[in-house]
Amino acid sequence: MTAPVTAGRRYAGAALDRVEGLDKVTGRAAYAADHRPADLVHAVAVPATIARGEVVQVDVDAMLKRPGVVAAIWHGNAPRLATSDEELAVLQSRRVAYRGQYVAVVVAETPEDAREAARTLRIEYVAEEHDVILRADHPRAYRPENVNAGHPSDTGQGDPDAALAAAPVVVDEEYGTPAEHNNPMEPHATIADWHGDGLIVHEPSQNVSGLRATLASLFGMPPGHVHVVSPHVGGGFGSKAKTLPHTILAALTAKQVGRPVKLALTRRQLFVATGYRTPTVQRVRLGAEPDGRLIAITHDAVMQSSTLSEFTEQTAVPSRVMYAAPHRRTTHRVVRLDVPTPSWMRAPGECPGMFALESAMDELAIACGVDPVELRVRNEPAAGPESGLPFSSRNLVACLREGARRFGWAGRDPRPGVRRRGRTLIGTGVAASTFPALRAPSSATVRAEPGGRYTVRIAAADIGTGARTVLTQIAADALGTAPAAVTVELGDSALPPAPVAGGSMGTASWGTAVVRACEELAARLEAAGGTVPDGGLEVTADTGREVRAQERYSRHAFGAQFAEVGVDADTGETRVLRLLGVFAAGRVLNPKTARSQFIGGMTMGLSMALLEESIMDGRFGDFLNCDLAQYHIAAHADVRDVQAYWLEEEDPHLNPMGSKGIGEIGIVGTAAAIANAVHHATGVRIRELPIRLDKLVR
Amino acid sequence: MRVHLTVNGRDETVDGVWEGESLLYVLRERMGLPGAKNACEQGECGSCTVYLDGLPVCACLVAAGQADGRRVRTVEGLADGGRLHPIQEAFVECGAVQCGFCTPGLLVQAHDLIERVGEPSDAEIREALAGNLCRCTGYEKILDAVRLAAARRGAARTGTEDRS
Amino acid sequence: MDFLRPATWAEALAAKAADPTAVPIQGGTDVMVEINFDVRRPPALLDLTAIGELGDWELTADGLLRVGAGVPYARIITELGDRLPGLAQASRTVGSPQIRNRGTVGGNLGAASPAGDAHPPLLACDAVIEAESAARGTRMIPATGFYLGVKRNALEPDELIRAVHLRPATGPQYFSKVGTRNAMVIAVCSFALALHPGERRLGAAVGSAAPTPLRARAAEEFAAREFDWSGATALDPALLARFGELAAEAASPIDDVRGTAAYRRHAIAVLARRTLTWAWNDYRGKAAA
Repeated sequence: MTAPVTAGRRYAGAALDRVEGLDKVTGRAAYAADHRPADLVHAVAVPATIARGEVVQVDVDAMLKRPGVVAAIWHGNAPRLATSDEELAVLQSRRVAYRGQYVAVVVAETPEDAREAARTLRIEYVAEEHDVILRADHPRAYRPENVNAGHPSDTGQGDPDAALAAAPVVVDEEYGTPAEHNNPMEPHATIADWHGDGLIVHEPSQNVSGLRATLASLFGMPPGHVHVVSPHVGGGFGSKAKTLPHTILAALTAKQVGRPVKLALTRRQLFVATGYRTPTVQRVRLGAEPDGRLIAITHDAVMQSSTLSEFTEQTAVPSRVMYAAPHRRTTHRVVRLDVPTPSWMRAPGECPGMFALESAMDELAIACGVDPVELRVRNEPAAGPESGLPFSSRNLVACLREGARRFGWAGRDPRPGVRRRGRTLIGTGVAASTFPALRAPSSATVRAEPGGRYTVRIAAADIGTGARTVLTQIAADALGTAPAAVTVELGDSALPPAPVAGGSMGTASWGTAVVRACEELAARLEAAGGTVPDGGLEVTADTGREVRAQERYSRHAFGAQFAEVGVDADTGETRVLRLLGVFAAGRVLNPKTARSQFIGGMTMGLSMALLEESIMDGRFGDFLNCDLAQYHIAAHADVRDVQAYWLEEEDPHLNPMGSKGIGEIGIVGTAAAIANAVHHATGVRIRELPIRLDKLVR
Repeated sequence: MRVHLTVNGRDETVDGVWEGESLLYVLRERMGLPGAKNACEQGECGSCTVYLDGLPVCACLVAAGQADGRRVRTVEGLADGGRLHPIQEAFVECGAVQCGFCTPGLLVQAHDLIERVGEPSDAEIREALAGNLCRCTGYEKILDAVRLAAARRGAARTGTEDRS
Repeated sequence: MDFLRPATWAEALAAKAADPTAVPIQGGTDVMVEINFDVRRPPALLDLTAIGELGDWELTADGLLRVGAGVPYARIITELGDRLPGLAQASRTVGSPQIRNRGTVGGNLGAASPAGDAHPPLLACDAVIEAESAARGTRMIPATGFYLGVKRNALEPDELIRAVHLRPATGPQYFSKVGTRNAMVIAVCSFALALHPGERRLGAAVGSAAPTPLRARAAEEFAAREFDWSGATALDPALLARFGELAAEAASPIDDVRGTAAYRRHAIAVLARRTLTWAWNDYRGKAAA
């Protein structure tokens, strides 16, 4: 139905330089916090110092006597918001749902006065006992209706329990992943400014259309009265996709004080109320024939959410897609704790879920004495293992084979703990990657000027992915012109509405709308004899119907990642010597930006494997290590040799570009490949991330 | 308090500076130079790297008053008029820029390395850039960009010598 | 908040005497973090970076290196790496190049964090801290008596650190630390070793494994007693192992986000054996030559 546009494809697929690159290397690119409107006041959010209970009183009067303080707002004097969503109901209740929740905001003429005011504001609480630690056997674990992205909580086929009881080979293990924080380099910041009944918000956002809609509804006004400006976003990885409390706080404060307000979160505050990856406890059971052919797969995952709202990560969902087996079951359980609400972090579901599944596959390979690459090949399904739907394209096996060839996998000695270079133990490991190829309805406008210039307008977001560049290429091809003749405007809610930069569906969703608008424009131009009228010609496309009508296929990108590690035999210090990924993700539209997406994802996976862990302090109820000195992310020196390759994949069932999303798949499977390599190096199986030194040396 | 400093070759006087604030704040909020970025405020990420009297430092850890009477150079001052420095060109060309938030600090740090060392080894590059965190790129393309810029800078220098 | 910027050392001492709560600031790598994070807001900052002499080092009449409190790590590495190899190695592992351009040993001493990288080599090298006050003049404090607790040191409220005195290395010196990341890492634990062959002894110190950095006294005494200080023989593996054990016993580590106490003890033994092996090999090489 939607055959890829192959004729006239000149620029999609080309390694175009990032179109906003010049602005970014000269320091001119303006991020939200860079704005300095006149008459600005500074707001600092005041966090709750209890993990559960109520705010009784806030000493506003004492605060207002301090020099420079403009306002102090809490539930007792805050304007009311129109929402029943507790997540968004900022300062609407006395209840404290987690430590660090914003219970007040202070506003001052200078940031130093605002900070001092926030530090010294007297707040009286009634504290209640809190419960902040996730356990698999938590008595309040329950089955949610659905999990993130609308997947059913539980699925099953056949009789996995009986099949496992009878299986010749069984792996039955528990795996754990810790809470992790997105930590984009740019901290969240809001500048909110009311003009009459309209609100302007400068905010780094992955979803300007969504943010506009939410703010409009909270403040009871038409969406057109809210203007979200977000031309450059300093990374997000999911943490800038939802409407967050600080944005609401800034908007509410600006309304109250009648002046533009800047509310810039500190890195430490990012660890509280901008979302995080839930910790998971997962049990994976694999039953197989002696030759490794799977008879049964079960994957049971337990996650946490807050008492405010239910967010359940789709942790076991990849196990519904990866391997063939007649008997299967996946379940999700969630425990609502007195913690901040977890949210999206790069590849929610697939990322932690595939750590468990792909670690278990490695354990099965060892149990069966089958090479781990071969084991995966043997369990390749012909169609979606649970859905029964045909795959639009599936090239996992080709990725495994090509990766094995490039990595030099052939002839690998499977014995663990036998390779040494000096005091360093060496090992190699493999894991598969997967991520769904999704698409959401979008609109886009394209405008032709008489001089041959085109402007594409779409409320998309470029969070560093290269969206601006790739949409320029897509439009140039669809219009039959050069990229230099096309300007893409995005990151602004005044532009035609577009879906979130998330779920690896940005390019597919926005690109479809851009192509359709360009096609329509070209048709109209042709009908008008090929001449652009003096006033220009503008066309808007909306892909709602097209996307909703798309054929039913199982659409996924796949990949294979290979790791070589060196582990210090005495200290357990682990270094990833090589990381090599091969991906099959439809057509790659810009090899330059794509390579960085893959390598960047893999590096974040490396970071997840070895370093990242947000540690919940059971006594106080907040994360202990909430700054970049204590929450380590991979530094330049940790990344020695990361390579990404991709296969040419023709898939006519995706979108006009023939592309699958690539923003998230790079982080999927990496941690398992590394943990598998660590086992190969040392003989120690790490089932709980991160692979800390003290877990390798006992 | 009042602070005098030279920024990107221009003498500047800033009044009303709070005694506890950082050079980073002065640059960004008082002088309209938002190139250096505020990302961790503890010297862990390098996003705020600027030259202070010719040495790259984290501007978030320099008290504003300590910059009094000193020379500062920021990312905004790396280009020579309209001409980009080779490291700026190479960052765009090699795909070393993604979200761009770590870029200004990385550019200043890499600029220092190239100007000081000439053609650094990979190990020297990794070491020099160890304090500049990037969450997007995975660093590989940044390494490529520094290699490319160093090679071009070296070629340009050789060219200059040949002519002399 | 006041910002005091004395131009001379005498002015600095006077300012500190006048306001003992003034917080000295040098490279800012500790003080500014505390201010940025609103951990504290001191009534005054006492900026010492305008005092040129603090950034100098010299060889004193009695043969010691007197390293000004304002000499940044980067210069210790480039200018003193040959004479103070242990301290220079530790300096190389501090933070990032940007931090090493600003951070100073004086600041590390002032902050007295148990994880400070400079402390173990200072202890192992018998460093002496030169402190001074306007009222009482100069006071020489041995490093061993300087660290009193987590982020507490022996300075009086009106005192400032003027310099650190160390003897140029008389034998091999090594510093090693364990960290989760390859750079920019707070030590999980660290260990410094300095051989003093002329005195037939060594200095050994542990970092990040107790409320304060500390000397591994029992290990030092064991080495002085048991090792063949003629340098003629290789170290017996049993001696090496015992040395590691004694070094580990000196520590009183805790479980924290960077590692368990048991792991730290294990790793200190590893670091002690490792640095001793390197140092002893150097020493034997020299003794043989």
